[in-house]
Amino acid sequence: MREVFLVVAVLLPLIGGAGIPVIPWKKRGAMMIYTEGVVLLTSALAFLLILNRPAGAFTLFRFTGQLSISFRLDAVGSVFTALVAFLWPLATLYSFEYMTHEKHERVFFMFYVMTYGVTLGISMAEDLVTLYFFYEMLTLVTVPLVMHTLTKEAIRAGRTYLWYSLGGAAFAFIGMIFILVYGNTADFTPGGVLDAAVLGDKRGLMLLIYVICFCGFSVKAAMFPFSAWLPKAGVAPTPVTALLHAVAVVKAGAFANIRVTYFIFGTALLRGTWAQKVLTALTIFTVVYGCSRALKETHLKRRLAWSTVSNLSYILFGVTMMSPLGLMGALCHMVCHAVMKICSFFCAGAVIYRTERTYVHQLDGLGRKMPTVFLLFTVSGMALMGVPGLTGFVSKWYLAKAAVAEGGLLSYLGIAALMISALLTAVYMLGISVRAFFPGQDFRYDSLGEVSDPGWKMLLPLCIFAAVMVLIGLRPELLTDLIGDVVYSAF
Amino acid sequence: MSFVQNFPFFSILLSLFAGPLSSVLSGKAAKALNAAVITIAGVLSAATLVFVLGTGESYVYTMGHFPAPWGNEIRVGVLEAGMAVFFCIVMLLCMMGGAAERLLEIEEGKQNLYYVMVNLLLCSLLALIYTKDLFTAYVFVEINTISACGLIMIRQTGRTIEAAVRYMIMSLLGSGLLLLGIVFLYDLTGQLLMDHIKIQVQLLSVTGEYHIPLLIAISFMAVGLAIKSALFPFHAWLPDAYGYSTLSSAAILSSLVSKGYIFLLIKIFYQVIGFDLIVRSKVINVLFVFGVAGMLFGSVSAIREKDIRRMIAFSSVAQIGYIYMGFGLGTTAGMIASIFHILSHGATKSLLFVAASGLTDVSDKQRSIRRLTGAGYRNRLAGVTFTVGALSMVGFPMFSGFISKILFAQAAMENDGKMLVTVVALAVSTILNAMYFLKTVIRIYTPLPADGGGEEAEGNTVLHMRDCPAKSLAMICFIALNLFLGLSSEPIVDLIRKGLDMFA
Amino acid sequence: MLVLSMTVALLAGILLLTASFAEHLSQGKRSEAEAPDRGDGKLHIFTGGVMILAAVTALAAAFGEGRETILFYLVDRIPVSFRLDDVGRIFLVLTVVIWTAVCFYSFKYMRHEGEEKRFYGFFFLAYAALIALDGASNLITFYFFFEFMTLCSMPLVIGRGGREAVMAALKYLFYSLAGAYLALFGIFILYQSCGSVTFRAGGVLNPALAQQNHRILLVAVFAMLVGFGAKAGMFPLHAWLPTAHPIAPAPASAALSAIIVKCGVLAVIRTVYFIVGPNFLRGTWVQKVWLTLALITVFLGSMLAFLEKGFKKRLAYSTVSQVSYILFGLALFTPQAFAGAILQLLAHALVKCALFMTAGIFILRTGKTQAEDYIGIGKKMGLTLWGYTIASLSLIGIPPTAGFIGKWYLCQGSLDAGLGDLSYLGPAVLLVSAILTAGYLLPVSIRGFLPGREEGDWGPKEREKADLMTLTLWFVTLLSLLIGLFPGRILAFVNGISDAIL
Repeated sequence: MREVFLVVAVLLPLIGGAGIPVIPWKKRGAMMIYTEGVVLLTSALAFLLILNRPAGAFTLFRFTGQLSISFRLDAVGSVFTALVAFLWPLATLYSFEYMTHEKHERVFFMFYVMTYGVTLGISMAEDLVTLYFFYEMLTLVTVPLVMHTLTKEAIRAGRTYLWYSLGGAAFAFIGMIFILVYGNTADFTPGGVLDAAVLGDKRGLMLLIYVICFCGFSVKAAMFPFSAWLPKAGVAPTPVTALLHAVAVVKAGAFANIRVTYFIFGTALLRGTWAQKVLTALTIFTVVYGCSRALKETHLKRRLAWSTVSNLSYILFGVTMMSPLGLMGALCHMVCHAVMKICSFFCAGAVIYRTERTYVHQLDGLGRKMPTVFLLFTVSGMALMGVPGLTGFVSKWYLAKAAVAEGGLLSYLGIAALMISALLTAVYMLGISVRAFFPGQDFRYDSLGEVSDPGWKMLLPLCIFAAVMVLIGLRPELLTDLIGDVVYSAF
Repeated sequence: MSFVQNFPFFSILLSLFAGPLSSVLSGKAAKALNAAVITIAGVLSAATLVFVLGTGESYVYTMGHFPAPWGNEIRVGVLEAGMAVFFCIVMLLCMMGGAAERLLEIEEGKQNLYYVMVNLLLCSLLALIYTKDLFTAYVFVEINTISACGLIMIRQTGRTIEAAVRYMIMSLLGSGLLLLGIVFLYDLTGQLLMDHIKIQVQLLSVTGEYHIPLLIAISFMAVGLAIKSALFPFHAWLPDAYGYSTLSSAAILSSLVSKGYIFLLIKIFYQVIGFDLIVRSKVINVLFVFGVAGMLFGSVSAIREKDIRRMIAFSSVAQIGYIYMGFGLGTTAGMIASIFHILSHGATKSLLFVAASGLTDVSDKQRSIRRLTGAGYRNRLAGVTFTVGALSMVGFPMFSGFISKILFAQAAMENDGKMLVTVVALAVSTILNAMYFLKTVIRIYTPLPADGGGEEAEGNTVLHMRDCPAKSLAMICFIALNLFLGLSSEPIVDLIRKGLDMFA
Repeated sequence: MLVLSMTVALLAGILLLTASFAEHLSQGKRSEAEAPDRGDGKLHIFTGGVMILAAVTALAAAFGEGRETILFYLVDRIPVSFRLDDVGRIFLVLTVVIWTAVCFYSFKYMRHEGEEKRFYGFFFLAYAALIALDGASNLITFYFFFEFMTLCSMPLVIGRGGREAVMAALKYLFYSLAGAYLALFGIFILYQSCGSVTFRAGGVLNPALAQQNHRILLVAVFAMLVGFGAKAGMFPLHAWLPTAHPIAPAPASAALSAIIVKCGVLAVIRTVYFIVGPNFLRGTWVQKVWLTLALITVFLGSMLAFLEKGFKKRLAYSTVSQVSYILFGLALFTPQAFAGAILQLLAHALVKCALFMTAGIFILRTGKTQAEDYIGIGKKMGLTLWGYTIASLSLIGIPPTAGFIGKWYLCQGSLDAGLGDLSYLGPAVLLVSAILTAGYLLPVSIRGFLPGREEGDWGPKEREKADLMTLTLWFVTLLSLLIGLFPGRILAFVNGISDAIL
């Protein structure tokens, strides 16, 4: 009956989070302890579940015969679960300090914690319906977070986010319906649930549906041409942009696509078809597109958001390779990018928190005043561009390896895109570092005023992320062996 | 013959007599009477439903025990009884939710007249549901139209009168077409009782005689009822009628009246012509096209709308489009989806109207969406209710709209030719729905600017649940109804399926 | 030993950088005005000590046995490991010599420039990366430190410069990384067709797989050549060099031109001779295009240097030209050409180091940066100018300097290579370039010593004394002369290498 705990892990943050604005807190500290407690407890539970993975599934609720909300933790799901469970407590810690300069804290933490539950729901979903359900839920609980500041801009961003997301879900819905009708089951099964014999002449149609469904889920993963919402959503408080728009939400889209590709439609059906080619081409284009937009962008957080757009498409590129190696690259990059990007966003957040400066050209010389923050920013920037010895190189290596093994023009183009993107990343990330550290000879440091590194609640998560980046960069086998096993189980 | 079998007849009769009776009562008494009548009719229908479920087959009830064609017959099955129960529940909730508005908006001396109309409307709806006689159906269609006009017109402002007139004209056009259709059929078959006509029509179809006149008859009836139920592009009357009438009228009109006509159309499809013949006649393709077009255009119009009531009204056009699209699929599954959507939309749309009025109440009765800024904080229950309704409309899982969306999509799978069009239309329509409904949700949860909003915020008040108990209760019931439809849809879908089996 | 020396340099670098930050932070608290000059002595003792320690350990490694040391594993269980082979030894010794010389040179120079701690910090980090590069035993390790080196050397370019210097540094970074990623692109593709990525004389290409993927492999190798060539300033990715070198502080320019640029050469050697194998490339379009590019660069660099007025910029163009001599030699795949290339490499490293040191001294003493400004400078600064002149002669290739021997072998190798027109075109271009070299280097000496009537009353008032700067300059110059005079040992050593790899 260990399966019950799957539901507990999902419901605990949902209910615990809903409690935050209801309970009459006397002190802010008590609320902080409660919030962090709920998050930590959930994470502990999640890790315990990963370590002793329950074999069975647990059905929480049944809409109708086929439609049910049920949970099961499989290998691929564990990767995402572990990632989320690792990041959430740290991000929450960070937000305690960050949120002191925003309003409506309690509502924020309510949705922040609830999102955790919903994300776990996505990672532990047993079937497509559950995934879809939590995918929609995710939109709902994150929209208030995006609009948190309730400025005109934030509300506009929230609307855009909402429409994109729901639109994406509407198209993913099409895929779900087709699977419900044509699939043997809607449960995630390695190799897919479609029977070639049953499909018969519907094969071509199924490919079209796959493309529609993939694009639908890719809206959250910000694939071109569905990427415009992500940079706009950068108006949200930084913990949101960092955790949700660099990890939880957007990776949920990528994760859903892994599910759809490898566990629902099945690579046997899709490999070598036009559907694969079209999607690969789109992801390759996005890789370059995101980077070039990032280069053009002068707003710090939006720049990072565009960089996320590009990096998410690395993952999707891996996914569309439809080979074990490709999946491996995708999963690696999912983990690696999460750590890198959350770190760089948190650094950006620290700068905003301390100085209220949001544009790149305002950062001149800040490296002297906030050395730790900018050092870590530089490290994460180097990791993003794929300097060996840091995480980015590891995932890039596996992605490229998969692409070379695949052969064909598109694959080589893909590698080229990765390289171009790495170069552009270097320019837009290190450009910031260079500005911050080397503002030029005649720069007057007086103009910066009294600025210093933020407190430990912000720095600790940052340092942990940096440490992880270096650790995985220098000992990638810690990660890749695990993911290798996971990939093995998915084929 | 069991005593329960009389219940449908009783309920029709009861509401029919309650109407004239109300005209001599005071407003208050009429209101009580009306509530009692609706409740009793609901209970009676529920009892009937249980009975029919128990026997497992429908029965025919001859009024006064005169056999047809001299006497009049009604026919009761699971679907009919179920629909009657549902109509009663929704109507009761609508009346409850709109009570305060009625006191304000209707002249003191005319309060009781309103209840006359409502009672007659209920009577006609029940009759439409149960009747087995095409001509009786026509008669009640007319009664329905007239009472609906009354409901619109009773709030005597310039726009409502104009709206009522427009409604009247369009409705009468619809009725006329329906009558023409009936006349054609009568001419072809010499019958007015539904199952008798059906036998004749089947014969005709076998021999292939009178193919064209038959087609014309079907088309007339379909188009007539389509006009009356505001299928795109015959929806021009709808926004004004729903937008400016008093709250309970709008809620009832949108969630029940149009549904009554649609139900009649289903009856005609199944019991008069035969569903196979309808599918073969290609009329459904026309319905499909207009349904899909309605889904999209209705939403597009709603997006452009600035008045919240009119926006919800336009959304009705889209939702009616869904229902006709379901017909258009020409499968039983499509029909089940459509019928479920009748329920789902009935429950959601009235909820939205009530919630919207809750929101406008705290915003100086101004209905422009801009003025609703922050209304969700001023009337929390209404805000939550509106959110629930909006999510249901968008087809968010857990709410009834999701189930209808799923049913539609699954039904579409069975029809190769229309499959892709349907699912894509559903997806696009979802996005469009999201655009206007969720935009409004965001708007009502956007706090007013720090300076209090200036002129914009003048007249804003705060309402708690205890300030408007009836409306609050209605809203809570609506939410419950919606969640019930969304979460335990399986028994209901089973019920519909069973009913549809019994239907033909 | 190698790792030890690397660690020493690395730690010293990190320490100095931290110190530099700490200084900034405390400075922020105090007022800006009292930027302290004290503590320089201590800093110099520390830096010098570390430098010598690192040099001794590195040299010990260079003359010791080449044992394999594995640090940790990167992707796909490819180790980050070091093993010195003969090519590595040459580069290592060269690196140690030049780096130590530049370090001592900069004690005086950098005092004027400021930001000393930061400079030495990155200087040591780059040093660590260079030692690692020389010792790397597989391609991935090599690439690892190649990027590391790029990133560490970038701040060296900035010095204490203004906006312009920052932009130049970014340009350097951009080109270097573009090159690196182009190379990485090639590595990815090569990796598929190679059994391993460990360097082995003659290459590790799997013949069967290589045959199968012939076309794409050639593209990959070409990408790597162009990519690594960017670092060596090869056309078409050479443009960073004339921008970054002049603007950097003189010690940094010397280090860049002498060593960092040579890393590109080392990378090319490793790729071509130790991974792909020259036999795979012999006679293919890659070899021809490579040769052509090298020749274009040789001519282009000389020509631009000839036309350039700025002294350091002229030297930078000269680097572009001279390094491509080496690449030209490497592309020929003959023993003589290889020997020529290595000799040219040694000579150019030492000579260019000396030339940039001269430039630094001139600029420091006179404050003038144009080549035409140094009229009559020999009068007061004869010591420096003589060093410059000897170094120039070597670069031009006048016997008995090192440059001459290198170029001689290069031409011989070219004629032996049997590549048709290119075989004859090569020496011709080299000759023209040599004349141009004379044309842009010697006028400074001539006008410096023989000002004619144009002499004005400018420049330093007093005669220069021998200080640390001139000493290191002469040390480097004499070393280059020594190589020219006694090339036998080196030639024998190089022949040993070329026997193994060709």
